[in-house]
Order: sequence, then C-alpha cells, then structure tokens
Amino acid sequence: MKKTIFALLAIISLCSLSVFAQSYAITNAKIVTVSGAPIDKGTIIIRDGLIQNVGAGISIPADSQVIDASGLTVYPGFFDAASSVGIAAPQAQAGRAPGQGGGFQQQQAQPTQPQSNSNFPTGMQPEVYAADLIKANDGSVETARNGGFTTVLSIPRERIFNGQSALINTAGDSVSEMLLRSPVALHISFVPLGASYPTSMMGTFSALRQIFLDAQRLQAWTNAYKKDPRGMKRPDSDKSLEALFPVLNREVPAAFNANTEIEIIRVLDFAKEFNLVPLIVGGQEAWKVTDRLKTSKAAVLLSLNFPKRTSSNAPDADPEPLETLRFRVEVPKCAARLKQAGVPFAFQSGGASASDFLSNAAKAVENGLSKDDALRSMTLNSAEIFNVADRLGSIEKGKIANLVVVRGDIFDRAKAITHVFVDGKMFEQKPPAPTGGRPQRPGGGGETPTTASSASVLNGAWNVTIEVPGQPLTGTINFTQQGDRLTGNVVTPLGTSDIKNGKANADGSFTFDQTVTFGGSTFDVTYSGKVSGNQVSGTVSTPQGAVPFSGTKKP
Amino acid sequence: MKLRITNYELRITNLLALWLVLLLCGLTVNAQLNSGALQNNNGKAGTFVIKNARIVTVSGAVIESGTVVIKDGKIAAVGATAAAPSGAEVIDGRGLSVYPGMIDAATNLGLIEIGLGAPGTVDTNELGDNNANEKAIIAVNPYSAFVNVSRNIGVTTVLTKPQSGLISGQSAVINLVGSTPGEMAVSANNALIINFPRVVAGFGGGFGGFGGPAPDFNELVRRRDTAVDGLKKTFKEALEYGRLQDAYAKDKTLPKPKTDLRMAAMVPFVRGEKPIIFSAERERDIKAVIKFADEMKVKAIILGGQEASKAATELKQKSIPVIFTNIYNLPVREDDAYDAFFAEAGKLQKAGVLFCIATDSETAVIRDLPEQAGIAAAFDLPKEEALKAVTLYPAQILGVADKLGSIEVGKIANIVVTDGDMLEARTKVKYLFINGRLLPLTSRHTELYEQFKDRKPNQ
Amino acid sequence: MNRSTTMKKGFLVTIIFCLFVFTVSVFGQTQDVLIKNATILTAANGTLLNTDILIQNGKIAKIGKNLTASSNAKVIDATGKFISPGIIDCHSHSMMDGSINEGSFSVTSMTRTRDIINSTDITLYRALAGGVTGLNLLHGSANAIGGQNTVVKAKYGKPIEELPIPDAPPGIKFALGENPKRSHFTPQPGQSRRYPASRMGVNEVIRDAFVRARDYKAEWDEYKAKVAKGDKTAVPPRKDLELEPIVEILEGKRYVHSHGYRAEEYLALLQLAEEFGFRVRTLQHGLEAYKIAPEIAKHGAGVSIFADYWGYKIEAWDAIPYNAAILWKNGVVVSINSDDDERMRRLNLDAAKIMKYGDVPEEEALKMVTLNPAKQLGIDKRTGSIEVGKDADIVIWTAHPFSVYSRVETTMIEGEVYFDRSTDAAKRQAMEKERQELEKADVNRAPGTGGGPPRVPSEKRKSDHDDAEKGGN
Repeated sequence: MKKTIFALLAIISLCSLSVFAQSYAITNAKIVTVSGAPIDKGTIIIRDGLIQNVGAGISIPADSQVIDASGLTVYPGFFDAASSVGIAAPQAQAGRAPGQGGGFQQQQAQPTQPQSNSNFPTGMQPEVYAADLIKANDGSVETARNGGFTTVLSIPRERIFNGQSALINTAGDSVSEMLLRSPVALHISFVPLGASYPTSMMGTFSALRQIFLDAQRLQAWTNAYKKDPRGMKRPDSDKSLEALFPVLNREVPAAFNANTEIEIIRVLDFAKEFNLVPLIVGGQEAWKVTDRLKTSKAAVLLSLNFPKRTSSNAPDADPEPLETLRFRVEVPKCAARLKQAGVPFAFQSGGASASDFLSNAAKAVENGLSKDDALRSMTLNSAEIFNVADRLGSIEKGKIANLVVVRGDIFDRAKAITHVFVDGKMFEQKPPAPTGGRPQRPGGGGETPTTASSASVLNGAWNVTIEVPGQPLTGTINFTQQGDRLTGNVVTPLGTSDIKNGKANADGSFTFDQTVTFGGSTFDVTYSGKVSGNQVSGTVSTPQGAVPFSGTKKP
Repeated sequence: MKLRITNYELRITNLLALWLVLLLCGLTVNAQLNSGALQNNNGKAGTFVIKNARIVTVSGAVIESGTVVIKDGKIAAVGATAAAPSGAEVIDGRGLSVYPGMIDAATNLGLIEIGLGAPGTVDTNELGDNNANEKAIIAVNPYSAFVNVSRNIGVTTVLTKPQSGLISGQSAVINLVGSTPGEMAVSANNALIINFPRVVAGFGGGFGGFGGPAPDFNELVRRRDTAVDGLKKTFKEALEYGRLQDAYAKDKTLPKPKTDLRMAAMVPFVRGEKPIIFSAERERDIKAVIKFADEMKVKAIILGGQEASKAATELKQKSIPVIFTNIYNLPVREDDAYDAFFAEAGKLQKAGVLFCIATDSETAVIRDLPEQAGIAAAFDLPKEEALKAVTLYPAQILGVADKLGSIEVGKIANIVVTDGDMLEARTKVKYLFINGRLLPLTSRHTELYEQFKDRKPNQ
Repeated sequence: MNRSTTMKKGFLVTIIFCLFVFTVSVFGQTQDVLIKNATILTAANGTLLNTDILIQNGKIAKIGKNLTASSNAKVIDATGKFISPGIIDCHSHSMMDGSINEGSFSVTSMTRTRDIINSTDITLYRALAGGVTGLNLLHGSANAIGGQNTVVKAKYGKPIEELPIPDAPPGIKFALGENPKRSHFTPQPGQSRRYPASRMGVNEVIRDAFVRARDYKAEWDEYKAKVAKGDKTAVPPRKDLELEPIVEILEGKRYVHSHGYRAEEYLALLQLAEEFGFRVRTLQHGLEAYKIAPEIAKHGAGVSIFADYWGYKIEAWDAIPYNAAILWKNGVVVSINSDDDERMRRLNLDAAKIMKYGDVPEEEALKMVTLNPAKQLGIDKRTGSIEVGKDADIVIWTAHPFSVYSRVETTMIEGEVYFDRSTDAAKRQAMEKERQELEKADVNRAPGTGGGPPRVPSEKRKSDHDDAEKGGN
C-alpha cells in the first residue's frame, strides 16, 4: 500500500510550471549531445522553443531563467517510436449483425461505422489518421512526457489498417501545436475483423492484397482521367483507396506489426509484392532475419516490452516450451545484434511503461549494446527514421528544445528525471514526497484528473455486451484495480472466469486475458479496452478473430 | 484425432446443436442404420477342427504345425497331434496361423454408433457425476455395424464402457457375437469406470469460445482437490452402506436400511472385490490414483497412461495394471520426443508393469488395434509382448484370463485364423470363431463392396 | 500479430543448427551420397534387391548394383534396410498459423495457404519421422470454394520460400457437403447461418462463381481488345483476386481439389466441371467414390481418400476400405491421405491396409502414398518414385514400410537428411540441457510473489485437420 502511494506521488508531482519565462539557461550540466561529444560541464540556452546555444563557457542572457544543473545530466528528449499516446481505445458499435448470405453473392463486409462514408469496414480503413484522433489533453500525453518522452509516434488502434501515424511532441495546448509530421507511416496489423471478412490471418493477407491492387488501379485511372477526361468513365472517389496512394508511391512507409521471424518474413514479402517501404514494428526476433531486413531496407521500431515469465510455480502445471524460454532470453540481445548487422532501429515502448522502457533499454545494454547506441536508439536514430533529424534527436544549436534532465545516468536504476523540456517549455519534477506522507488531494499538484483517478477508475462492476457475431453476449466484468494490477472476473450467462494478466494503465485503458472453454475446448482470449467516465469499450481478441465489447458501469 | 467426449462437451452439444442436428440428421440415421441385413450374423455352432496350422497359443510355445479342436463353444484340444472328433468340420490350416482373438480393453462399441451429428446413436453419456449403477451391458447394441467390421480383423472381444461424469458406470466385456447383450457378455458387470479428477485443459476450436466455465488454473486445482475429496467421501459412504446392509442381513431385528442404487452398485468395487478403471494420463495423476487406491484399498486399473512409465516403480509395487491408449495420439508438448507414445508400452514392459494396448477412440479405430500393438513393437516392445498386449494381457487385466486371451483347452473358442502375422496390416483373416461359432466374414463394408465392385454405369 | 497464436512452435534453434551442421557437413548439396545394398521399393519399377542408389546434387543419379562414388561421398550401408520414395500426403493442414479456414464467405478463392505456412511447426518434424517428404497444404473445407493450396516439401526449419515446390501447378480447395453447409459448425447461440445450407445450395454457389468468373474474363477480353485498337479511354477492369483463380481453373491452369463425401454431390460437381469445360483434379476424401468409379474414371479425376477411416459422421457412413481397390480397378489414380497431423505419421501402414481390401498389388498400394499423390499434384516428374533423374526424396526403413514393425531410420529430401533417428536421440539430450540452462535465466523464473496462473496441462495436442467431427470447421 505504501508503495502504491509513493508511486502515485511520484507521478503526480511532476508538473508544468506555467511560468512566463521566454528563455531558460541550464547551467553546470553534463550534456550528452548524442550528435557530438558529451560536454562535462556546459550550458544550454533555450529560447522560443529552440536550443539557442549549447556548449561550455557560454554567456547567459539576462532574461534567461537559470536552472543550475550541477550534478545533473541533460539528454535530448526521448522518442517512443511506436505508441498510441493521445488516442483513446476505439468505441465499439452496438447492435451490429454480420451480413447474411441471402443469395449467391457473398456477404459484403459491413462497415461498422457507416457514418464514416467509407467503402471499407472499420479496421480496413487506411484513411484513419492519428492526427485526427489525438487529444491534446489526453492523460497519456502527460504520462509519456513525465517518463522523459518528448516525442512519440502515435498510432491509431484499429485492427488491420491501424491507421496512419503522427509524430507529436508531448506538450501543447492543441494537436496542431504538437504535430511534427503527419502522416508518418501506414500501420498494418494482422488482427482479423471479428464480424466480417477477413476473419482469419490468411484472409487478412488476401484482403490487403486486394485493397492495394484496387488502389493501384484507381491511381492509374485517376491520373489518366486528370490528363484527359474526355471519353473516359469518371473514376470513383474513394478516400480509403486514395489514402493508399502515398504508400504505393513510397512517400509513406508501410509499418507492419511483426515480432517473430516468420511474421517479419511474411510482411517483408508482402511489402515487396507492392514495392512498399517497409517498417517493422515490434521486431523482437528481427535479429534472425537481418539479411532480409537489409535487402528490404527495412528499419525496425524495436519493442522494449521484453517478455518475462509471469506465471507462478505450481506442481500441476506444464513446463513451458523451450521456444518460450529461449525467446525470453534472446529478446534483450536483439538490439545489439541489429546494431552489429547494420539494421537501423529505434526503441519503442511496445505498450510498456516508461520505467520498463528505460530499464529494458538498460538490459539491451547489458546484452551487448553500447550505452551510446542505446541512447541513440531512443533519440537520434528515431529522428532519422522519421526524417526529423534536422530538428530533433540531439542537443544541437537550432534544434527543437526537447530535453530531459536527469539526476544520475539514464540507464542506472538509481536515477530521477528532474526536468523535461518540450518545445522549450519546462516541466519540472519535484522530488517525491517522503514515504509514508499523506496522499495529496486529488487534482493537487497540477496532475491531470485521468492519471490522478486512475488508481480506482476501473474498480467496480461493468455491464458489458460482447458483440459475438449475430449473438451479442451480455455479462458483467468485475474489476479490482490496484495500481496497474487488474484482477477480478468476467461473468457471462454461461459461466464465470477470472481475469488473468490484468494490467491497468494510467489513461484508463486496460488489458487482461481470460481462459474460456467452449465446446470442450479451452483457449485464451485477450480483452483490451478503455474506461472513460462510466463508459467502457474495447475488443476481445480470440483465436478466431476479434470482436468489440462495450458497456457501462453499474451504478 | 482421438475423440473423448467429456460430459461437458456433450452438454454443450446438446444445448446448442441438438435441435439442429436432429433436424438435419435424425431421419437419415434411421434409414441408413437399418440397412445391412447380415449385420451381426451369428454364424454357426458346431465342432470344428483346424489342422496343420501354425498355432500361436500366446500362453505357451508356438506350435509350428498342429491342431485346434473347437467344441461346445470351447477349445476342446490343442496340440501338435490332437485327435479330431468324429463329425467335426475340418479346416485345413496349411499355411495359415491360428491366434486367440484380440481384446480391445477400452471401447464404446455398441454404445456409440455415429459420434458426430447423430445423438440418437450415442449412449455413453449420462447426466450427473455418480452413475455407478449404470451398466454398459444394458445398452449395448448387438447390431451395431461396428461389430462385424471389428471382428473381421480379429478383434473378438471388447470392453465397452460409459464415459461421462466422475463415476461413469460399469463396463462390460463382450464377445462380438450374439443377438442380445446377454449373449455377448463375457463379464457383464466388469470394472467401474472413474474419470479420476485432474487438472487438465483441452485444446482450442470454435469461435471465440465464449460462455463456458473458464478453467482458471487455481480454480481447476481447487476443483480437482474437492473432487478427489468428494470421491473419497463417496467411497467411504459406500463402504458404510455395505456394512449396514450386511449387518441387517445377519440380524433382521435391526432397522432395515434404505436401498440406494448408486451405493449398492459401488459396494463390490469399494471393497476391492472388483476392479475400478481410473483414467489418468500424466505422471502426477497416475501417482494420485495409486495413492488413492492404496488408501481406499481398491483394485485399480489405469486407463490412458501417457506417462505411466514414470510411475512404473509404484505401479509394479502395487500391482496396478495399465490400459495404454495413446499410440494414436500426438505427443502433447512440442518438446516431447516424436515417438514418446510409440515407445511407452516398451518402457512399461521393461519395467515389469502389467499393461495392455487399447484404442479408446472412435469405434472405427478398433480396427487398428493390431496396428497399434505393432507400432509399439516397432519401438522396442518385443513382438511376442505386443501380441500379448492385445490378447492375454487385457484378459488378465479385465479378470477374464480364465476364459480368454490364449489358446488353451477349456477357454472360450475365440479363434482367428489368418494368412500371416495377425498384427500386420496386410494380413487377412481367413476364418473366425467367436464362442466357438464359425462366423461369415461379412460386414456392412463387404456388402457395399459386393454391391458396387463391378458396377457399370446405367446398369 | 499475436505471438502466441501466430507463432507455431519451432523446435530448437540448437536442433535446427545441429541438423544444419549435420546436413551441410555430411550430406551437403555438393556432397554425393551413396546408399549401399538396400531393398528398394521404387514405386515405379518394382522392388530391387541388394541395390545401391547414388545421389548427386540432390537428384537420384544412379540406381544399380555395386555402384561407386567419389572418395568424398557419404556412404550409407543399408544392408537389411528398405528404401521407399518419400511419402506424399495429398491432404494436409499442417504448418499453418492461424485458422486454416477463412470462414466468412462461401467463396474464399482469394486466400492462399502460402501466406500462413511456417516451416518451424513441430508437426512437420513428426511427419518427417513418419517418412513424409511432401504435403499438399489445403485451405479448410468451410467454403464451397476455398483458398489456394501450397504444395511443399517437408523441409523442416528451412527458410519458408524453400518449401513450396516451384514447378507444382497451383491448385485450389473446393468443398461439398456438410462442411460448406456448416452443419457441424457450432454456431454461437442464435448465430445466423451462412448460405448455403444444403447440397443444392453448395452446387449453386460453385456455379455462380464460375458464371461470375466467365463474365469477368469477358470483361478483361473486351478491355484488351479496346486497348489493342488504340482506345485510350478504356479503363482496365478491377483485378479481382476472388475470380482470378477461378478463371485459371477455366483455363486449365489451376487444379481443383474438392473435399466431399457422397457420390451424388461428386457427380454433380463433375457434371458442372464438364459443363464449364474443366477437369476436377482430385476428389478429396471421396469416401463414396467407389459408387461412381466408372464416372470418375471417365471424367479423369483422381481420388484422394482415407484408407479405412469411416463412420465418424453421417457423410462417412457408407465409407468402405475397398474404396481404393474399386477405384484402382476402374483405372482411377488413387492416393491415401491423412488430413491429420497424427495420421500423417503412419500413411505407410494405411497403404498396407489397401492390399488387404480388394487385392491391390503391393506396388500399386505403395504408389497410393508416393507416386499417385505426386501425379495428382502434378509433381511426378520430379518426385514420388525412385527413378534416375528424380529428386532424392527417400526414406530408409528398418523393415518393409508396410510392416507394422518397421520404423523410419532416415528421411531425406533432395539428398539432404531432415530426420535421422540417431541424431534425434542426441538432440533430446541437448534439449534437456538447454532447458536447464534457460530455466536459470531471470526472465524464465516464476515471480516471487503473486504472478499469473500457470500453464494448465493438456492431455491432447491439437492436430490440424478440417473435418468437423474432429472439432474443426
């Protein structure tokens, strides 16, 4: 309990000082520029959101607010190269029924969001843009910033076409202020649609192939029509297919979620089929396919969500497969191996917390990656992969003032982030209150309400409807949340089962697993969703596909 | 591949699909099952002499050229020079081999006809956890199409069993001939079948799999422990029930205890007078059965036995035999040896554990019993032991070795005459006797073969 | 992609490595292999006693007595051993990640099993241990017209692109009867059914697809004609991945492998094919094919069946083990398949049974798991029998492969060893050692307190198949 309170205080005490300073001077700091040699004792002048000057023995402008960083180290702001910061979990649509084959023609995929006027169902819409979905005041923005992440790639959360990502800075009153680049990449996962084609991974490949072909055709047609419309049938305007043009034209990379060797091979093959620029998101077994990655000129957004055993010991349990044991041991070695092979990569959280991100980056260092390379993988490498290295990723004169000030070495366990600068705005972290101190009042310390209340936001019983195709199942999810741990059970008309591997995030989102039995068979399903006020929604992923669920809190 | 319908599975099937399946298939089943007039033709009784044949007695040495005499349903004589009674029908066995009929010690023959899509032909499963009083022999269908198909490859006897719940009921050892269950019965009320409680998961399938009771691990462990405790309690109650009934039998002045069919049925089993077949696959579960049997002082038989060799010492020490039923299962874990189950029987034999090989699968698989024994032999079980594993050993395990399992004078004349090694897939059965009756080698399959083998279009 | 579902568990890196080292150093492509003094079941030219096989560059270079090889060739003494061609399973759903069915539509011809195959699937290794060297990887049978197949060699652990046989003609799965009707598919409570729900409907779905494909082709032809005439305004029709493979069927470029059971549904399909001018390549399962053997022979279809599996559902009630014999006597090319990861390991014994039912000669029975499936898949020029010039896809057995007492000693594909029993034994020890090492790692230790639930043990392994009676769909 004490620990929880302590952790809470640590989070909520990092607050933005809404001072009026136009300029800051960080003095007496050790400066890790990344692009050049570190400066043992130097000064950084920040003005108008930019690094005005950096070096040893620089004079300090009179109007600068001076931050004496004696004993502190300044790093370029960190990147999380793949996240969904600022984007809420998708809302499930209620009362949707799958198309029924009433004749020869196959069921047509039913758009789940008819209001979007797309010709494709939700989950197959490449025209979903993170830039349209990000909320500047979403709690996850601040959570990321508090962890030292000043720039994140934010990816929408749809199923197959996740959507097109945006690169944002993690501070700003509006999204337009935060945006660095959009779109950055079109993100693709192999999570089949629950209710309609494709309902399998095999079908997902086919569906992707067809939509890329359709886009190719439409683009050629559109171009021909633009040249001379006379006598030619007018091409359709299809925003989904049009959203693929830049991807087909290699202006926007296709970023595939792929972790294992075979997954990576499959997506590289697919990218080759359409001459796409591939990015691998996840890539934990990328070290096995470095040759292919180099041939395909693919960069890896390497997940730092390292696997580890979570199940407890039990005499009745089965031993874990060697494959699993080996995978866990090999994953932390991946970064060093990619570096050695010359495959470009950048670190991303893979959904892990900021502290896991940093401690796992440190594990990559223990497993053979140099500290410099590890730091580069969360700063300049990321900036290079996202084509913003001219303005971000290192501490250089004229670059955007995204900085992290740390007491201690960033890869040491004993470290503390004291200040974060985003676009030259300073966010100062106060030292955590002593252990055992009384909890601060909710909302105190400038903490966003989402984070402050996240400790208990999930607690309670939720009436939910799981949109099993043709047969919505109603039930209750009973959550008990302790910090980021989520326990409880799921009750449906046909049985009750406990929540496993439950994880609650500060933004009200959660994931958990459930083992279900049906027809004498058992398997695992994964719930992921988000609570917003008294609404809950998300998806249930099953071996047969995924379905949405939604509901409300029981009063 | 192997289909073991659990109680739960059946319930789901019933709940969700019964109406549909009935609608689709009910009528078809009746129409089709009733065809096949020769089904379970009982052949002819008489006195038979098989001469000049190679006689594989199983219990003794092989007689390279000898005679077997069959009379009054029994083996009347066997030897190199046995005399032929007058009036006997003589079969020249030159070039042929004579074997005792094979015994499949774990089947559902006669209780399930078409497992999938024809619930009207399934009688293995009952509601409730304790059905000790239910008896397979009550429901065995002597006219099952599987009777002839199975016996035609030399399986003359099977144990057929109910299979649902915790205490499934009483199995029956039946010969594959006879017009009524009674005529088929060798041991009408044989071992009690108990699905020993254990922590186990199935494998995936079906959309999403919503709705069932989810097997959370700790819950499974708790349920298992509760079930084992419950089973112990039931056993103790049955013992007490028997004691009170005996006391009343001796002294009628005592108040008459109430009759409880389930308890009454359990008495001979919990007293260790008759065997109990406990299904258990993993080492831990097998050892749990051994402990349970020891504590409750019952006669246990292990059914399944995937990891039985890991408990070989205890099994041997407590004289607990194993009905091994996993030749046709894939090794469960990906890290398991590819031949884990092929080699298991050989390990049991080396360790001195009494075992037999049985199919315990869809009824169609009974026909593969010889092949299953042969595969075990390919993986280090001596050939003669493989043969015993489907003849004498199951007879011993099921307590019918005085009647079956070898070619010995006085035993039931279940005799298979083949043109080669009985376990070989190519070998043909030439003559077949069950209960001393010479049976025609016909079946639903031979009938359809005859009907279609020379078919020309438009004829 | 979710790791747990899409990642078919490979074996061991070390094991693959061991095999790799073993094969490269001992049986590398450049190294000749000489197998001496074996009994060779050629599946083409009878049985050869005390005969040698010389393998060069993965091909069978010579078959004969007292062959010699270069001094650096690997020599295997196979005295007392039997050699057969590698077994080819003409109906398998092995080594696929995710569902083997795209069950949404009644026609899913756009799907390709090639997209989801995984060479590290342990079932592939277990198949090798049963002498299997080739597989026809089919889409499931949930759809009247299912997905496109992949014909592979069982090169366990090799880069995935090395498995498909490059010159194997493409094929596609069709399905008739209860599976496309979805009658054994357990719907969610109240879930609606998909069209079709009758055999009549299944036939009409197929007919409709061919009509659409014909129209589609006409549309393209028209476009091409316009372009040829120099019409700059012509807009190319949409390239339709559903209809393209069906056009290929019409053009005779793609094989139809049709799941089905009952005689009349097969007759209807053959008639439909004849009407549209193509030939059905194989009837898969075809348990009642014997009832219409002359008609099948006349059409020219092959049949790929279970040896003697029957009675598991109504559709299989009239199945008889004499099926192969009747078809063979009518001149139909017959193969025996498994449709099951477990059964796949003993197809040699299934073939042996065929001899017992209807007096099929030994070599003909052997062909049913070797040369005949190769013919049905259009790969018989390169594999399926032991003949000079063919790929060295070879199994060394301890006894005649039709004997229940036989066991695979070595399985080779193109002269490379993919399974070897003695190597396998050594691997087990390496695995145990590796496990002990790995379990010491922090990431593999159970959390000190709390922690999620442990792995619930299983007593069954999922065996990929598509027949509904086994829980598939």
